[in-house]
Amino acid sequence: MAISEDLRFLEREALEAVLAADSLDSLDAVRVAYLGKKGSLTAVLRGLASLPPEVRPEAGRVSNEVRVRIETSLEQRRRALASVEHETRIAAEAVDVTLPGRARPIGRQHVLHQIVEEITGIFLGLGYRVADGPEVELDYYNFTALNHPPDHPARALQDTFYVRDLSGDEAEVEGESDVLLRTHTSPGQVHVMETQKPPIYVIVPGKVYRRDIADPSHLPQFTQVEGLVVDEGITFGDLKGTLEHFVRGMFGPDRRVRLRPHFFPFTEPSAEVDISCGICGGTGCRSCGGEGWLEILGCGMVDPNVFGHVGIDPERYSGFAFGMGAERIAALKYGVPDLRLFVEGDTRFLHQF
Amino acid sequence: MRVSLTWLKELVDITLPVEQLCERLDMTGTKVEAVHTRGEALKGVVVGEVLTKEPHPDADSLSYCSVDVGAGEPLRIVCGATNFEAGDKVSVACVGATLPGGLTIKRAKLRGIVSEGMMCSAAELGVGTDASGLLVLPAEAPVGAPFAEYHGLADSVLELEVTPNRPDCLSMVGVAREVAAVTGATFRVSSSELHEHGPTASDQVSVRIEDASLCPRYTARVIRGITVGPSPAWLAERIVAAGGRPVNNVVDVTNYVMYELGQPLHAFDLATIAHKGRMATLTVRLARANERLRTLDGQDRNLAADSVVIADDSGPVALAGVMGGEATEVGDTTVDVLLESACFGTASIGRTSRRLGLISESSLRFERGVDPELAARASARAAALIAEVAGGQVAPGVVDAYPGQRPPLTVRLRSARANAMLGTSLTADEMAAFLRPLGVDVAPDGEDLRCRVPTFRPDLSREVDLVEEVARLYGLENIPSTRPGGRGRVGELTDVQRFRMKLGSVLRSSGLDEHVGYSFGDRADLDRMGWELAPDEVLVELVNPMSAEQAAMRWSLVPSLLRAVSHNQRRGVPEVHLYELGTVFITAEGRKQPKERLMAGGALTGSWTGRGWDEPGRPLDFFDGKGVLEAVFGALHVGGWSVRASEYPWLQAGRTGDIVVGGDVVGWIGEVSARSASAFEVAPHVVLFEISVPALHKAASRAQVTYAEIPRHPAYELDVAFVVDQTLTAERLGSGIRSAGGSLLESVRLFDVYRDPSEAPDDIRKLPPGKKSVAFALTYRSSERTLSDGDVRPAYEKMLRKVAGALGAEVRQ
Ligand SMILES: [Zn+2]
Repeated sequence: MAISEDLRFLEREALEAVLAADSLDSLDAVRVAYLGKKGSLTAVLRGLASLPPEVRPEAGRVSNEVRVRIETSLEQRRRALASVEHETRIAAEAVDVTLPGRARPIGRQHVLHQIVEEITGIFLGLGYRVADGPEVELDYYNFTALNHPPDHPARALQDTFYVRDLSGDEAEVEGESDVLLRTHTSPGQVHVMETQKPPIYVIVPGKVYRRDIADPSHLPQFTQVEGLVVDEGITFGDLKGTLEHFVRGMFGPDRRVRLRPHFFPFTEPSAEVDISCGICGGTGCRSCGGEGWLEILGCGMVDPNVFGHVGIDPERYSGFAFGMGAERIAALKYGVPDLRLFVEGDTRFLHQF
Repeated sequence: MRVSLTWLKELVDITLPVEQLCERLDMTGTKVEAVHTRGEALKGVVVGEVLTKEPHPDADSLSYCSVDVGAGEPLRIVCGATNFEAGDKVSVACVGATLPGGLTIKRAKLRGIVSEGMMCSAAELGVGTDASGLLVLPAEAPVGAPFAEYHGLADSVLELEVTPNRPDCLSMVGVAREVAAVTGATFRVSSSELHEHGPTASDQVSVRIEDASLCPRYTARVIRGITVGPSPAWLAERIVAAGGRPVNNVVDVTNYVMYELGQPLHAFDLATIAHKGRMATLTVRLARANERLRTLDGQDRNLAADSVVIADDSGPVALAGVMGGEATEVGDTTVDVLLESACFGTASIGRTSRRLGLISESSLRFERGVDPELAARASARAAALIAEVAGGQVAPGVVDAYPGQRPPLTVRLRSARANAMLGTSLTADEMAAFLRPLGVDVAPDGEDLRCRVPTFRPDLSREVDLVEEVARLYGLENIPSTRPGGRGRVGELTDVQRFRMKLGSVLRSSGLDEHVGYSFGDRADLDRMGWELAPDEVLVELVNPMSAEQAAMRWSLVPSLLRAVSHNQRRGVPEVHLYELGTVFITAEGRKQPKERLMAGGALTGSWTGRGWDEPGRPLDFFDGKGVLEAVFGALHVGGWSVRASEYPWLQAGRTGDIVVGGDVVGWIGEVSARSASAFEVAPHVVLFEISVPALHKAASRAQVTYAEIPRHPAYELDVAFVVDQTLTAERLGSGIRSAGGSLLESVRLFDVYRDPSEAPDDIRKLPPGKKSVAFALTYRSSERTLSDGDVRPAYEKMLRKVAGALGAEVRQ
């Protein structure tokens, strides 16, 4: 039974080689050495054909068993080695998950426009539309149609920026011009009333300009949001309720609103609107100057003289208007101490909101 | 308006604590801006009794006193005054006290003797003008009492914000009436008895008004034989409490009556007014050409043609309502006074005072409007007081020119209308009850009220003005909150507004932060950019700019963006990616208003995210900017656009292009030129772009988005590199491939460009001189079947031949 001897020797040798293989590559080398086309077991199997027929079946059976055992052993070893190699690789690929992520460049919306969009959103929900108008306005729209008398102090050269009028028209007032940078978004009201019939529910956001030197609490350019409603049966109570809804939406449901009578040329009755201080809740603290209240907007019922300028019958229609500054609201909401930060474009500022 | 509570309490019964009074005033439209406590400044000043007074051993002019101040040992005080004796009561500033002038009392040696305090004059205490000696107090003054309390200085002063519609509240009487109306308290007017003697005023003075619109009323009184001197303490204190400075008894009375009644008055030294015989004639008129006047403050002023002056026969003697002339000023030697109490038109006073920079208590009141009915009453009150404090005789009668007298105004208030406007349900009676304390004479007429409005309330001329009074006295807090109904109302944004929001959001998701810069521009920025206006374009310039840098309106967003970049770089922030959606302005000769155009601008510099822990932070260049444009145009579905090489002075030549959509240039992109970078103080390599938003919107609204089928069959992919002239653009080569590629060619993607380094020696050159290699990934696909070599090869070979023929492109082996 020399062939059986050879086979058993071969098997032992092969199994030892399998166990000795310490990587998938060396294991594959073992497989090739025994079971490959030129492998030793393959050679033995080829030799079976030359055996005498009486021993051939027995030799065939034994050699097949040997082959199966070697293959089984190879497979077991392959699994073991694969598992080890997998674990080694996983260990090598482990990272410190506390390392920072790779930054993505994502831009931020300017905080003033976030505020304007937030305000706009609240009024869209109340059925308002958004209107706009030119920033370089005519005196008529900025002042006259808004019931400012010709000698109103706001028209003075030290308060309002006038623009060179190239039309050749003479200015109404010497040294001034009929063209100016709008000092409020209220001219937008007039444009809307000139071009639309009531009912009118609009807000007008935009840049406005006043001759203030830039300092922590003033800018020569700022952002206003104006609101206007003209309809049948509009009351001062409607104005109050609308602003209360707005304040709760903008600043939170626990904020209180108070209206103090005031004076504006283009509304009557007029009022200034305060909200309760968000820090002390109304008892008075440093951020509200001990008042407990913070002034955030001006409002009133549209003055009949304004209706007169745009041909709306004040006996049939009434309306209200209000206006607020986005810079002031942003400064209050986020505690921004210096309004100049809004126009400097400092990335470290822009990224905070 | 400063309101002394002590003074106010003489005019109206106030029972509310100060805090509640302020709250009530706030909530009815008279904002209390601050409450000052007077007398606080005199802390440490007490009533003392002089026990002994001896001469100072080393100084004849000084005395050495022992003064009882009611606590501890008597103080030893060295004093220079002589108008007192032992036993007198005086005011003593103890060590540590600070006097109104800012002097803080310290223990000090005077000629070798320690002084432990200071005895004070009325001037030193700020309660009068007399500085000649100590303020000697009545014998019954309680020793040790705080002086401020004893002297009635423990007063609160309310600082009121008076809105322009309420000129009546620029007087104590007006505030008192308002307080009475809002608190329900009783209001009374103080009066003084006027005794008149001698020749009548109209025999001595005449008044002429040239134009009633400039001066509706002018009254004059004559007071002769007065003695000008310091005011009595009560008068001086009132002036100080109201925020003024005591001058002399005559001037102080005119100011006192102005604070009390709201009527500005002016006293002329009658002897200095030109006379014809016994008559002095004053004319109220516009200033004439080249007229000048030296005003009280010693300034020689050229008078503008629209200034109103008071003139005598020799020329102007006062700027009406603004300031008197120096030559006719009441001074120590004045004996006879001409007292002016007049009403001037609001417009000219405002213009004159602003032009001359002379805002006085008087001009402020005239500008807001003074009740013409007040003039005679104020004149009588002031004349009586002058006679009282300065002696003299008031001539009988008042010279009164009153061309601007108007009949009293009656306004109808419909209670139903008021309720409809306010959302209230008040009765006519309730409304009448709110109006009467304001001085409105109310007569019921059915459901309406006929309201005769007082002349001191020029703001009440229409029904709506009365509605406002009802609202504020009823209390805005009592009006129920409602919201408008309104049928079929829809809140929505327009197409343009939605587009702007979308554009902003796409720019942000491309990595740009939003900047909001100044809309102002600087003409010098034209030069910094090298920007040339078109022949018909004119910069929008301000008539009254505040600075050269903000003297115009911007015509481009670039300066604003570069300034923001510079601001960041100077503060050590290298990574800056900004966009701005803002208006630019340009005008033309003959135009009234400029054209306003909305632009989208961008500026990128540094790297996207800075140096990371495993990546270096690649510096941004032209193609990062173009990548932003690709993202924007892609997200907006704008197809058929390209960047075409171009040149602008503010951009670096060769790294600049026009943005072209459908044949129209809608903007530009490029890297900042060295010249503009240094002019705007930014480091080089800033990518800039600017696009017209309306043009972009037009292109985006043309876009039609329709579904394209997702491929089901695999693609056949092939890379090819061409060697071409360096001047051949990627776009021409790409479109050449595309047009020659056949129907199966789905996409052409450029993935590599190679040039030999310009200074490379011949032996390492890979390409012929003047050539570059451009590599493309070609994707072929059929919607019907999987493609084989046999399908693609013929189309590919044909494309190569065509591209070689048309563009001289050879396949790189
Ligand atoms: Zn607070």
